[in-house]
Amino acid sequence: MVVTRGNSMRKFGRLTTGAASAAVVALALTACSGGTGEGGEGAASDEPITWMAMLHTPTTPEKDGVIEKALEEHTGEKFEMQWVPDASKEEKINAALASGTLADIVSLTQGDSTTVRQALTSGMFWDVEKYLADYPNLSKVDPQTLESARIDGHLYGVPFQKIKARYGVVVRQDWLNNLGLEVPHTIEDLTKVAHAFTHDDPDGNGKDDTTGFIDREESFRVGFRSLAGYFGAGQQFEVAADGTVVPSFTTDAYKDAMEWYRGVYEDGAVNQEFVTVQKSNQQDAIAQGKGGIVVTGLFEAKNYMALAQSADPETPMSWALVNDITAGDVERRILTDTNGGMGGWLAIPKSEVESEADLKRVLGFIDKLMDEEAFALMTNGIEDTHYSLDAMGVVTIEDQTAWEQEVQPFASSRPSEKVITYKSTTEYVDEGNALMLENEEYVVTNPAQSLTSETFTRQWSTIEQQVNDAYNQYITGQIEMADYEAVIENLRGQGLDKIVEEYTAAYAKVNG
Amino acid sequence: MSAATAAVAAAPPRAAVRAGDPAPPRKRRSALGKHRALYLMAVPGILYFLVFKYAPMGGLVIAFQDYLPFLGIGGSPWVGFDHFVRFFTETTFLQLLGNTVAVSLLLLVFAFPVPIILALLLNEVRTRSFKRSVQTVIYLPHFMSWVIVVSIFYVLLSTDGGAVNNLIVEAGGQPIPFLTDPDWLRPMYVFQEIWKGAGWGTIVYLAAMTAVDMQLYEASELDGAGRLRQTWHITLPAIRPTIIVMFILAIGDFLELGFEHMFLVMNSLNREVGEIFDTYVFTAGIQNGQLSYAAAVGFFKGLVGLLLVIMANRLAKKFGEEGVY
Repeated sequence: MVVTRGNSMRKFGRLTTGAASAAVVALALTACSGGTGEGGEGAASDEPITWMAMLHTPTTPEKDGVIEKALEEHTGEKFEMQWVPDASKEEKINAALASGTLADIVSLTQGDSTTVRQALTSGMFWDVEKYLADYPNLSKVDPQTLESARIDGHLYGVPFQKIKARYGVVVRQDWLNNLGLEVPHTIEDLTKVAHAFTHDDPDGNGKDDTTGFIDREESFRVGFRSLAGYFGAGQQFEVAADGTVVPSFTTDAYKDAMEWYRGVYEDGAVNQEFVTVQKSNQQDAIAQGKGGIVVTGLFEAKNYMALAQSADPETPMSWALVNDITAGDVERRILTDTNGGMGGWLAIPKSEVESEADLKRVLGFIDKLMDEEAFALMTNGIEDTHYSLDAMGVVTIEDQTAWEQEVQPFASSRPSEKVITYKSTTEYVDEGNALMLENEEYVVTNPAQSLTSETFTRQWSTIEQQVNDAYNQYITGQIEMADYEAVIENLRGQGLDKIVEEYTAAYAKVNG
Repeated sequence: MSAATAAVAAAPPRAAVRAGDPAPPRKRRSALGKHRALYLMAVPGILYFLVFKYAPMGGLVIAFQDYLPFLGIGGSPWVGFDHFVRFFTETTFLQLLGNTVAVSLLLLVFAFPVPIILALLLNEVRTRSFKRSVQTVIYLPHFMSWVIVVSIFYVLLSTDGGAVNNLIVEAGGQPIPFLTDPDWLRPMYVFQEIWKGAGWGTIVYLAAMTAVDMQLYEASELDGAGRLRQTWHITLPAIRPTIIVMFILAIGDFLELGFEHMFLVMNSLNREVGEIFDTYVFTAGIQNGQLSYAAAVGFFKGLVGLLLVIMANRLAKKFGEEGVY
């Protein structure tokens, strides 16, 4: 027995030696390539920059496609995109962060995810603050956006600059016309429209096959969140009269909104199985005319049109874009959907980008992406291929399919959405842009955005999920308001109260 | 590491026995030399288990830490049994255990016998071409991924224009929320499991049936036995060892329902009856970032699974069957 063990151990030993020598060889190789980098007086390496980014479109753009080539030409840097489908970003990004398999640039768009916050504060990413001033575009990032992007005073990535409040309600104008209804501007009217869309056959096909709202699985975080804002609820957190920072889902305004929405749901005016509906299913349902009200970004109307037209070029569809819904005597307001213009971070991990020289190279690349030329490439595509520009500077998308395939995926990865606002001949684009701009005046942001609470970082994902479930159960009539409140009471013991306590203290410290 | 070394140490004697060499212990060394080729053949298999099954077990240590990926296993603080204590004291534990056991029991009762019955039926079919085509058709679902299966059911069962509910409404009934009603989750789950897996499951039993001695059937026919009696008294007893082995394996997978299927059919409305250990490990660990806690949950599940296999095997041996080891 002893002999056997010895023998196999020896074999095993030899094996480890083999593995070890392989590792040494690998190390030597990397050392070589690293060596050339540092040998040239801090010169950066010339490997392509890798970039892990979210994909909001159903198909991945071709590798080394036209836009990528054009951007490489403009920036003078080779780069490779690693697309992460937006629907699976939670598990993909979390797994990537946990296992350390990252790219040179990692787009982190979920500012309140536990893993993302832990990763950011763990020091695995470069603090880019002191470098920004050296770059023409990065030095001009909106200070409010920078403030929202800081965590404990550190800037662990270049913030995505977004429009501050893009949300609104889009309503089928042709259906309103069919039924002789006005465009709704109050919750009461919106309720009536939803009822009529459900029961009065707005598409005139003689079948009871339409509904009012088309919502989706993420109702709690997306559509309903915005609706609750009209009722007076805060963006995720709000400061109560006594100075405590409380989660908005515990407030009366929020519960009022829930009661109202449940009523609409019971009336059949929300798609009944929204909890099973994914974003792409939602878009399909809208394009197919299954419902006529969507609470979403005001830029979406043009996408719905495009989708409907691709199925039926003769579609009667037209949209009314509404940005000024009010509820009762609550003044006009709109919750930010981008953390006050901060859409996440372009984080640069130290494990991938090891030297300062390399960091500067990556920052230079990001900076160049904010040039007008690069912005145009990522927004409209290549002139005369994807779009044309007339003397007035009005953009016409010439090849919608090619644009969707090749350009649209890059649009959500633009480091800034606000470089230029193009005039467009595409329906609803200019209107949407104007309405989103109007929104800025009424925007409500999250008072806890740049505050830190250790418990929030650790527990929020879990807490939010449970409230999300309870919300869905309440809206669909599985539980009552008392049960919803019981869920929240229960969560108070599981960290919710601590979050309130920590945020309140942090808020008081900052605001005196 | 100790587990890995033990496996290496244990492997050669077993291989020697398999080679049919009754060499006494002191001759083992020469046995090793004599059967060098056999040992060599075993190396890839052993390596596979070492690299992919034993080495990753080291990672279980994070169940006893507050693991932070950036600090690594070496740097994360040690918390002992904290995560286990939390898990066993939280209400979710009973819910998870209840759901997992309920679904597993339903599968054992309803899904496990289906392949046996199907195989018995197929065995009685005498037209070869018919038997072949039926076999092919019932194998097909096995090759579809769960995503496809669940999507098909989603389209069929949705209340927003699903075919099944359209039929129900046409017939004057009320639409049934199959996808969101907690009461429908388990029946739907079991049905999908049967639809996808039953055909494939018949293979083993059909193979076992081909080994039954034809003379037995002829003899029973002379004694006047009909088809049913033949099935009951000859075919079933003949495949009994196979059934028992399959049963032990099924017991071993008792808590191992698999993540994908349940994750796909679950949503916030039926989560209370759908959340099982596998999905909870995913939501807690990957989605909510509590890696250590999830590892503790997974560890617990693995231990219970191991215990169940050992018990089932003992039980089988008690009833005079061979068992799996």
